[in-house]
Amino acid sequence: MNRQEFLTQMQDVLQTDEELSYETALDDLAEWDSLAVMATMAFLDKEFGVKTTMKDYKEMLTIADIAQKAGL
Amino acid sequence: MISFNAEQRFIVTGASSGIGEGVALLLNELGASVIAVARNVERLSAMKAKAKHPENIFIEPKDLAEDIENLPNYVKSLKEKYGKFQGLAYCAGIGGIRPLRAVEKETIQEIFDINYFAPVFMAKGFADKRNNNGKGSSIVILASAGGVRGEPGMTEYSGSKGALIASMQSIARELAPSYIRVNCVSPTLIQTQMADEIARTYAEGKYPMGLGEVSDVANMVIYLLAEQSHWITAQNYIVDCGVI
Repeated sequence: MNRQEFLTQMQDVLQTDEELSYETALDDLAEWDSLAVMATMAFLDKEFGVKTTMKDYKEMLTIADIAQKAGL
Repeated sequence: MISFNAEQRFIVTGASSGIGEGVALLLNELGASVIAVARNVERLSAMKAKAKHPENIFIEPKDLAEDIENLPNYVKSLKEKYGKFQGLAYCAGIGGIRPLRAVEKETIQEIFDINYFAPVFMAKGFADKRNNNGKGSSIVILASAGGVRGEPGMTEYSGSKGALIASMQSIARELAPSYIRVNCVSPTLIQTQMADEIARTYAEGKYPMGLGEVSDVANMVIYLLAEQSHWITAQNYIVDCGVI
């Protein structure tokens, strides 16, 4: 998965119409709630084999931080 | 008085016969647009021919048991074609009595595909906020009284409907903060094609008010889809004239 595909997939994970970029601040997204965090955890696990915990997300500020966890 | 307008679009599955047909026709009569999904295009056309406002019935032939995991994308493609949806009435389903000794994993799977997996994945597609109208959107799932009370020969069917009721309650609570409602309607035997001779014989004499009719169930479904039920979610309504 390349960086553009990652953004497209995150669009679906967060079910948002808002155009995402790597700079998008998670707290600015109305969709960024606890269910979205759990959906992101499932996404990273399934697509990248990366296990994350709720605690990891407390330190993440942008989409780029999620991508970094995925190794992108 | 319940009424809808043509900008309120509802997906109705199983719309070519029985309860699904009744729901599609009643929604349409009350002013809504209906995206009618079922396998058989001829039967869908026959349903459309009975509609009060046929121009607001849109036929979509589809076998929901095929490619179930992709149903969320299917809902998305319908949204792109018609616009966002106000509601989903999942009325597709299969029945069948099979004694335990004849139950196989494959026969369970076949029933669960259309009675459990397909509605869950349709709900998943509908619940994506890019596909629905947000606050006030409503999902109604046809379950069955068999989902709360098993009868002989109903291992597979009751299992599928019981699982469905339980999952829909969970989905309802997940979506409640978005003001999207999810309810089940659980009839007993209703006079439809699905109620075959064996079922009718079995049911004979059990119903103090006689066998139910399609409209008895369709009216409940319509109420739960409509704005009038806006504070009701995560429920399973049994429509059975008090039998179970």
